[in-house]
Amino acid sequence: MLKLTKVSKIYEGKVAYRALTDIDLEIEKGEFVAIMGPSGSGKTTLLNIVSTNDTPTTGEVTIEGEKPHKLKKNALAKFRRNELGFIFQDFNLMHTLTVEENIVLPLTLDGTRVREMKEKVHKIAKSLGISTIMKKRTYEISGGQAQRVAIARAMIHDPKLLLADEPTGNLDSKASNDVMKMLVAINEAEKTSLLMVTHDAQAASYSDRVIFIRDGKLYSEIHRGESRQAFFQKIIDMLSLMGGDGNDLSSVRV
Amino acid sequence: MTFRQFAFNNVLRNKRLYIAYFLSSMFTVMVFFTFAIFAFHPAFSDGAINQNALFGMLAAGGIIYVFSFFFVLYSMSAFLQSRKKEFGLLMMLGATNKQIRLMVFLENILIGFFATVGGILTGLVFAKAILLVAENVLIISESLNFYFPTFAIVITFISFMFLFFCISIFVSFILRTNKLIDLIKGDKKSKGEPKSSRILSVLAALLLIAGYGTALYVEGTQVVFALIPVIVLVTLGTYLLFTQLSVYIIRRLKSNTSIFWKKTNMLLFSDLSFRMKDNARTFFMVAIISTVAFSAIGALYGFQSYLDKQIKESTPYNIEYMPWRDDTKEIIDQDISKVNAILEEENISAKMESIELNYFEMPELDREVLVVRASDYNRLAAMVNERLLHPMENEAIVAENSDTQLAMDSKASEVLMASSVEIGTGQEIKPSHVVNSFVLINDGYYVVDDAFYEQLGTPVREDMSAVWKADEGQSERLIKAGRKLNEQVEHRVYAIDYTVYEINKAYGPILFIGLFIGIVFFVSAGSFLYFRLFSDLDEEKRKFRSIAKIGLTQKELKRVVNWQIIILFFSPIVIALIHGGIALSALSRMFDYNLAVESSLVLGSFAVIQIIYFLVVRFFYVKQVKRMVF
Ligand SMILES: Nc1ncnc2c1ncn2[C@@H]1O[C@H](COP(=O)(O)OP(=O)(O)OP(=O)(O)O)[C@@H](O)[C@H]1O
Ligand SMILES: [Mg+2]
Repeated sequence: MLKLTKVSKIYEGKVAYRALTDIDLEIEKGEFVAIMGPSGSGKTTLLNIVSTNDTPTTGEVTIEGEKPHKLKKNALAKFRRNELGFIFQDFNLMHTLTVEENIVLPLTLDGTRVREMKEKVHKIAKSLGISTIMKKRTYEISGGQAQRVAIARAMIHDPKLLLADEPTGNLDSKASNDVMKMLVAINEAEKTSLLMVTHDAQAASYSDRVIFIRDGKLYSEIHRGESRQAFFQKIIDMLSLMGGDGNDLSSVRV
Repeated sequence: MTFRQFAFNNVLRNKRLYIAYFLSSMFTVMVFFTFAIFAFHPAFSDGAINQNALFGMLAAGGIIYVFSFFFVLYSMSAFLQSRKKEFGLLMMLGATNKQIRLMVFLENILIGFFATVGGILTGLVFAKAILLVAENVLIISESLNFYFPTFAIVITFISFMFLFFCISIFVSFILRTNKLIDLIKGDKKSKGEPKSSRILSVLAALLLIAGYGTALYVEGTQVVFALIPVIVLVTLGTYLLFTQLSVYIIRRLKSNTSIFWKKTNMLLFSDLSFRMKDNARTFFMVAIISTVAFSAIGALYGFQSYLDKQIKESTPYNIEYMPWRDDTKEIIDQDISKVNAILEEENISAKMESIELNYFEMPELDREVLVVRASDYNRLAAMVNERLLHPMENEAIVAENSDTQLAMDSKASEVLMASSVEIGTGQEIKPSHVVNSFVLINDGYYVVDDAFYEQLGTPVREDMSAVWKADEGQSERLIKAGRKLNEQVEHRVYAIDYTVYEINKAYGPILFIGLFIGIVFFVSAGSFLYFRLFSDLDEEKRKFRSIAKIGLTQKELKRVVNWQIIILFFSPIVIALIHGGIALSALSRMFDYNLAVESSLVLGSFAVIQIIYFLVVRFFYVKQVKRMVF
């Protein structure tokens, strides 16, 4: 459903910087893929390109047969709103709105009927366990709650592809595991494809496949086998092979 | 590096942040200074302008100064708001509270100094430009030339250095009360949503209704007495309207999900309700100063047109001659030939008519009343294209010149209609109807058929009048002739064109000052709104960028921004226009003179200016936001 062919990104500046080189990547419908790599390796750049917030210098991105980078601005906005869901590392919630309003925002822009919105928001809040904070304002909730609100907002319109940049970056391991389980549940129930950038090997071990990037190039990838524990171990090994250990990596972010 | 050097460099390095604050301060100084240039103009201090106008100007100066204070204070607090984080960081790094306050103090003095100097310089240019415009639009002639305003410079400099000094101290005190945590959170989140009370919201509506009701109900001299109470009611009402009622309405809208959850409404209203607290004060000030501007300009303009019309329409002739009671026939003939000679001298082609004016005793009235022959009346009427009157053999028509009457008098026509005319045979005739006519200046008189007139007997008083009507397009020559007539045939001759010219000339500077003050007020109101808008620009950009990431079309962005600016720019102005319209209608009822045309002209031009202003600002604002977002 998502296909990248020879995607490269060069940041023009005083000194042009090649952040991505010839990335080829394919993600099946309903697949859950994690991207890992050392700091500065180009993960966020890659995610931004897939999420259409940035354009590739060369190469092509195809989502569900559609080439979003070729779309006009307005059509692109609609495309984002309907086909994609985003979970930002800094949540990106609006502090003038309540939790509930934040979640329905993408739907209101599309002119969904109020009853339908109410039903959806109710269902999703229940499944994410945030029904009790729906009337609160964003500064009155904890980081873990905010993360779940962000997930709810990303999910409310049943996107085909969910993009997450370090969704567990702000959370402790308990909350982090909760969030990951939720994402997996959504991934399985709705057959939503998931692309997640993370530094957290624990979080990455929930995915079906982990892709490693170094210096803007695909370094390697590993598939999940039978057990999550073994997968986790393989990820750790790969990380230390790439240089730098897990602890070092988990302290860096965008 | 000493701390003072640090403060100095801090200003220079953070240019962009400071520029908005600097410009708004400079603008304020400029406005005040330009005003001071006129207020202390030598033409006014030597008594050429009357005391009341001078007092009005002083009052306006005071108001401008007070508003300057608030304006600078507001822009400063917006400026500091955006820097809270910086202070928090400095404090965390170990700067003492005292050091930060000292820094803010020095910064402000520095900015204040340059803003004052800059404002004075731009003010000089601005004043010159205004004078150029004024000279071409109004009859001011030599009286308001440009001069080097030493005194105005000194006054402005001292006033504003004092003002900046006070504000600097004031602000460094405010800073003390903030906790570190508040500073670090800074502009973020925790700003609560403004509350509103239902009682106060209702009160706002009641106050406005009461104020408007009174203003629309009173008439004549009552208006004067109602003035102060109405101003108090409406001012209070306006304040509550913006601080309470508007917040209340927005909250109601927000709680209604079928409206609030519709398309871009959520984006629009959520911000609106948060900004309303800051905006309310701005809106209130803008509405009030704009009302003052509209009413002042409307009143002055209306008054001028009232005077002009009064003179021009009360008589359709160019020159009128009225002898004194005991003037002999020789004097009269001599005067009339003098007038004709002067007209000839000035090469003016004019027709002349004279008329006998005879007053008769009326049995039912204890005063003598003018009765005119229909043939005499028609002679004059034909000259100025008035409708001719043809009374029946035993009919009396009451004619009156209603424009020369003040509303407070009982109308002459009513008295005359109630009375009756007695003919020599003892027969009494009731007047048939009233006509409004410009033919004679006299208040009210009877026009009767010539045969009827012969039966009236002997008049108690005999008088005469002569009038001249010049052909069109000689007004310059008529003014010149009028000046001569005024000198040579004093008191008996009334040269209309010259009188109007003289009045406009005397009125010119007052009208100019009024216009100027009005425009200054209006412009400062506009700049209030402008700075309000742009002080929130950064936060807006951030917000739209984060929504754009989820997917926001340009059309949606435009719609939200458009409405935001419309609400910001028009809610105070619309209120001010309504206030102004009601004030002018009360004024027109006080003089019983229809100001509808003048009011709509003044209010309409302000509305148009505001719309243009809105379009320009929106263009740049949308461009800015779009550039950052897409
Ligand atoms: N806007 C930009 N202009 C120029 N260079 C950029 C820009 N954004 C990122 N880079 C560079 O591109 C490279 C990849 O950045 P990217 O943000 O994708 O890294 P990352 O893998 O997400 O790192 P981290 O794990 O620290 O978040 C970095 O070397 C960075 O300096
Ligand atoms: Mg990153």
